[in-house]
Amino acid sequence: MPVWLREYSWRQSGSAVYLSLPLRGLRVTPANIFCTDQYLKVSIPPFLFEAVLYAPIDDTNSTAKIGNGVIFFTLYKKEVAMWDSLTLANANKETLQYLRENAVLKAHEKAKEETEAKKVTKQEHKKYALEATMKLEEAERKRIEDLKEKERQKVTKELELWKKQQEDAEKQKQVQKEEKLHQEVEQLKEKKKEKINKTGISNEGTSKTRLKPTKGCHGSNSMFSENLKEEQLPAPRSAATIKINFTSRVFPTALRESRITEEEEWLHKQAEARRTISADLSELQDLKEEEKNPDWLKDKGNKMFATGNYLAAVNAYNLAVRLNNKLPLLYLNRAACHLKLRNLHKAIEDSSKALELLTPLVPDNENARVKAYVRRGTAFCQLELYTEGLQDYEAALKIDPKNKTIEKDAEKIRHLIQGTMQDS
Amino acid sequence: MSAAGPAGPQLVVHVQHALTYTLFDCKWVPRSARLLCLGSAARGTGLLQLYELQGGRLALLREIEKAEPIKCGTFGATSLQQRYLATGGFGGNLNIWNLEAPEIPVYSVKGHKEIINSIDGVGGLGVGEGAPEIVTGSRDGTVKVWDPRQKDTPVANMEPVQGESKRDCWTVAFGNAYNQEERVVCAGYDNGDIKLFDLKTMSLRWETNIKNGVCSVEFDRKDVNMNKLVATSLEGKFHVFDMRTQHPTKGFASVSEKAQKSTIWQVRHLPQNRDIFMTSGGAGSLHLWKYEYPSQRLKKDSEGAEMGVAGSVSLLQNVTLSTQPISSLDWSPDKKGLCVCGAFDQTVRVLIVTKLNKV
Repeated sequence: MPVWLREYSWRQSGSAVYLSLPLRGLRVTPANIFCTDQYLKVSIPPFLFEAVLYAPIDDTNSTAKIGNGVIFFTLYKKEVAMWDSLTLANANKETLQYLRENAVLKAHEKAKEETEAKKVTKQEHKKYALEATMKLEEAERKRIEDLKEKERQKVTKELELWKKQQEDAEKQKQVQKEEKLHQEVEQLKEKKKEKINKTGISNEGTSKTRLKPTKGCHGSNSMFSENLKEEQLPAPRSAATIKINFTSRVFPTALRESRITEEEEWLHKQAEARRTISADLSELQDLKEEEKNPDWLKDKGNKMFATGNYLAAVNAYNLAVRLNNKLPLLYLNRAACHLKLRNLHKAIEDSSKALELLTPLVPDNENARVKAYVRRGTAFCQLELYTEGLQDYEAALKIDPKNKTIEKDAEKIRHLIQGTMQDS
Repeated sequence: MSAAGPAGPQLVVHVQHALTYTLFDCKWVPRSARLLCLGSAARGTGLLQLYELQGGRLALLREIEKAEPIKCGTFGATSLQQRYLATGGFGGNLNIWNLEAPEIPVYSVKGHKEIINSIDGVGGLGVGEGAPEIVTGSRDGTVKVWDPRQKDTPVANMEPVQGESKRDCWTVAFGNAYNQEERVVCAGYDNGDIKLFDLKTMSLRWETNIKNGVCSVEFDRKDVNMNKLVATSLEGKFHVFDMRTQHPTKGFASVSEKAQKSTIWQVRHLPQNRDIFMTSGGAGSLHLWKYEYPSQRLKKDSEGAEMGVAGSVSLLQNVTLSTQPISSLDWSPDKKGLCVCGAFDQTVRVLIVTKLNKV
């Protein structure tokens, strides 16, 4: 329940009403005051003052002054008349309610209208500003264009002038040359006559006819100058060759072709592989020092393979793998041994493992990869899985297209496949 | 568009002419307002077109069709009266043509096994001294120097050692031809190697590697004691080497600049001012640069050996003309600021660079 403020005093003139409302100690802000054309309310919770006015007022122009513990309202009447009292006397509850609600609605509408109006003006202002900037920019652009045009025209004129000069100069030169030519031909004729008398051969004459015609009407004059000049020019250089080397890189590719990241990865992997020792040391304590070195074991294995002792080679590679299972070459070589021993499935397994370890694909491990594909292909073919075998041979061919043996073998497999298909 | 603003040199397009074939090289005919376009037609033949600047357009004067597409050409080794054109073709053939009678070449040799990527000439046009010579660089990794008076065999051959894998040679340039004996050839390769060959001593004088393939090299002047060399490469970088002082181990001092995001196809120095050069890029742009010398070109290193000091390069102007690479560029030796450029969008443009006197 609000506390009603009823201590107010008012006086009026013909056109205005002056209302003073004391508020002891209360802080008032404009938000607490609500006024429409026939309703006035001041609400500072829990205090409330409300008045349904006797006659409508002009609420847009009316003012409220807050200060000194008092609100002083100056309400301008819509109609000039003297009020009997500030508020409507016979205001019952319903009318009051109705009036109140009406007032609120009206206030809302007013607020809406105001915002609308504001929006519209804002839009217009923006448009105007935009147009102004556009005009400025246009002007700037035009100015630059004009400057450029002027330059262009100036330059074109100069060019035309220069061209004319060139042409005039050329014409002059031609005229001069023709005169000279005429003179020299005369001289030559005289000389020729003399020479014929002496030797009977006229070299200059023949050389004149043999030299190809030169540009335009410069004709024979230039031949004379050529002859003279050639005597002054040094003889052609004696032929020589300079041998050059190109900058070497770890991987010989230029920067734009380089697959640096992959190559680095490959180098890194190799380095890592060499360092890991994955075996269980306890079992291997009774081995000699050198037998614990996977590389040494690999060499041993290779030697035994070369002599034909495939089982021993497999043993050596097995031990090496137990020591270090990241070296692709071990698996590769073991695959070769298994092939020879006709352990085809094991050969396929080992070639596959080798191929797995030979990633990323770089030119460095091309050789190894070709071998792995060929071995696996052979194993497949011996198991009569010709299609898989052909796939591997083709993969090998893709890496090394110039290898004739691989090509021939691939062809053979293709024929075999076609043969079996025809039979079945 | 303008880096230096309206106050600096402007690159004005004077004429733009569309062609119906791929243009590989364009050259001014010396002492004239005529220019030559070299390229390859769609049917796989070579085309030579001679244009003349008339008013605001290019008028076609002659069109010559040859069996083999033409990659590059130069007037560098002929006299001013003859003005023979030396061309390098796609099949490795070097031909010298008389444009008045182009049916049969004046000189022809199958110099290389693969396409001749670049050609340069020296000793002609009244510039420099010594015998006229032509150098060609090819995809087969060799650089050969030819004398038009000697048939069939080159007078110098720079080839890889037996067994060495070859790298394409992309560009060649003559330099240091200030008297009758001295001459130097600079070659750039696709793996970033730059090699300097001294033809007087027939030896390799200097080599370096700039990591990215070298698209174009040029000395600022062919006929003086070698002063500066600009080498441009892929990935938008170019290097300016100060060639006056060679340090025994460090070679030549250089400054490098990364200008455009794409390959820099060509560099050409202004014939009238050797410190101004233009680079053309793979994004269809042209940049005009000025080189400033350092206060001291020489300094001594810790052991007392002399080494050069590179200066600095500043951008004067740039303009984007096309979306395709501008593969060829040539300044006119007669009119300062007049240049022609050819791009892979099959257009040839004649440009005028203004205000070069005030730079």
